[in-house]
Amino acid sequence: MREILSIHVGQCGNQIADRFWRLVLREHGLTEQGTPKDSSAANNANMEVFFHKIRDGKYIPRAVLVDLEPGVIARIESGEMSQLFDESSIVRKIPGAANNWARGYNVEGERVIDQVMNVIDNAVEKTKGLQGFLLTHSIGGGSGSGLGSLILERLRQAYPKKRIFTFSVAPSPVISDSAVEPYNAILTLQRILDHADGAVILDNEALFRIAKAKLHRSPNYMDLNHIVALIMSSVTASLRFPGKLNTDLSEFVTNLVPFPGNHFFTASFAPMRAPGQEGQVRSNFPDLARETFAQDNFTAAIDWQQGVYLAASALFRGDVKQKEVDENMATIRKGLNFASYMPSAGGLKIGVAETAPEGFASSGLALVNHTGIAAVFERLVTQFDIMFDNHAYTHWYEAAGVSREMMANARDSIANLARSYRDAS
Amino acid sequence: MDPNLERQLFSASRSVEEVRRLAYREPSRLGQLVEQISVLADLRQKEGDFRKAESLYREALFRAQELKKPDPDLLCGIHSLLAHLYDRWGRMDKAAEYYEKALKIADDAALEDNDKVATIKNNLAMIFKGLRDYKKAEKYYQEALDSFRVTDGSESPRVASVLNNLGVLYYTNMDVERAQQMHERALGIRQNLGQDQMDPADLSQTYINLGAVYKATGDFQKAEACVDRAKRIRSGMNGFHANPRRAAALLIDKTL
Repeated sequence: MREILSIHVGQCGNQIADRFWRLVLREHGLTEQGTPKDSSAANNANMEVFFHKIRDGKYIPRAVLVDLEPGVIARIESGEMSQLFDESSIVRKIPGAANNWARGYNVEGERVIDQVMNVIDNAVEKTKGLQGFLLTHSIGGGSGSGLGSLILERLRQAYPKKRIFTFSVAPSPVISDSAVEPYNAILTLQRILDHADGAVILDNEALFRIAKAKLHRSPNYMDLNHIVALIMSSVTASLRFPGKLNTDLSEFVTNLVPFPGNHFFTASFAPMRAPGQEGQVRSNFPDLARETFAQDNFTAAIDWQQGVYLAASALFRGDVKQKEVDENMATIRKGLNFASYMPSAGGLKIGVAETAPEGFASSGLALVNHTGIAAVFERLVTQFDIMFDNHAYTHWYEAAGVSREMMANARDSIANLARSYRDAS
Repeated sequence: MDPNLERQLFSASRSVEEVRRLAYREPSRLGQLVEQISVLADLRQKEGDFRKAESLYREALFRAQELKKPDPDLLCGIHSLLAHLYDRWGRMDKAAEYYEKALKIADDAALEDNDKVATIKNNLAMIFKGLRDYKKAEKYYQEALDSFRVTDGSESPRVASVLNNLGVLYYTNMDVERAQQMHERALGIRQNLGQDQMDPADLSQTYINLGAVYKATGDFQKAEACVDRAKRIRSGMNGFHANPRRAAALLIDKTL
């Protein structure tokens, strides 16, 4: 067994959980209560990766839901999936982190982290060969960023040999919830840098742009989270469904991380449709492959012009022919601007899984490590500097046990990270 | 792993899970949850998984603090269990910190002359001895001694144990004269205990400690006599070797 445990932290992390588990339930032919829709539905899938089966034939997600505010979890609990999650694996504590990384990391975090770790330990004990963890959170808020960072640290300590993969929603360059987002983001990125094996950076603005272009209407948060859910589902698809080219988390990481620390990715999913509107869209493979690697289809605002690809992975699902994949991807590979030291045919890892997300005949996922991601870090560092140099808002962090020195230290590691990406070009 | 322990761990873990579910809906179950978590933590410690045991005790601690009416007895107990864990883990600073917190809680709630508090003081003294803070160690041993005299009576085994500990402390601190006094008093008590309380291992240890003291004062005849007595007691134990952990375990209140 190669189980994966998902950990959803904070408001954003749990909103993603809401979309993600709906999608996964459908992919595995399960109802919102976790029971099989019909006996044959789940036959061709490896359910154990994401679910733990209990006596009465019900499947329980291998998921831990954590929030410092009751809102989102309460909504999940009162919604269609109210019977799905195991209540012993939900951790909610009030009061919230007040948008302050330091409160999520130190003050409130300190009080709740042991409970979180106990719940995680308990979930891990139910696995036979845990492959790793998926963490969903936002890095701009308080709970997902601060408590998320603390969880990352403790997870790495407790499970040094397991893969840790994060899906991290970064503050958008334009739309902003609060002034302190850059502080929270930089402090969290430092922990992701130190303790995660891979991080998919998503930004709400890019998601918004994609959703708007593809849905032809003004998208809501549910649409954005649906995109994230599709990406998460595809990243793990070949673990769960049979396919000729199986690609697991470890293989993704090996292929995608050419240098230690440069493990920040951006992703793209195609064909993009609104939830419920997928129809049975049948796009031909060349179109699908092109959309998968279209620059405006990626989920972070990265600098395509000045960067190169360090590595890329593609995973196609559903009704695709190996021959078509090989032919088309060779062409696409030529069009991608790879780092100079890459072998001319290398650097692009391809996986194929038989089952497409529900409603799709076929789908494509690209997960790429592009040096243009430095732009995301540079932007955050610049915003950080303007406030930090003026001592704006730092008193909130100091009051919660995060010194200016700690903040400056985080800032420097992310500035170095950006530089290392630029240098890798 | 010991299959018995494995079984216990499995069922304790399931119980915690079950009470977690209950407590999620009914906050009144928190007390029960704290109890179950402590049971599991104790087993984890036996298993040697200190990291998990620590997390569990700490969760129990924070949960116990959330109770509507915080129970100082319970809080003091969890603090001392956590301290004991750190002690076994070799994290002396942490152990001292948590024993001191436990004492503070007991103090605030006026729980002083209680044998649990005396036990904590004795254990804390041991840690300060390990950290070479002899002043603090002596202070806490003396306080533990006073408390045990009140709770157990001045001729009781636990009073003898603390006297013995004090003797060892003075001896390591080269205060041979006072070490001798302590061990002689401990001997006085241990010799005269009834059959049910008499522990040959403790008694022989007192003779050995006393022998060391006499040797240090240059009284080799007495020293040899003591060692002979100790040897005879040991041989009378028919090859029975007390569990080396037993001495420490005696001082830990398992009823928490």
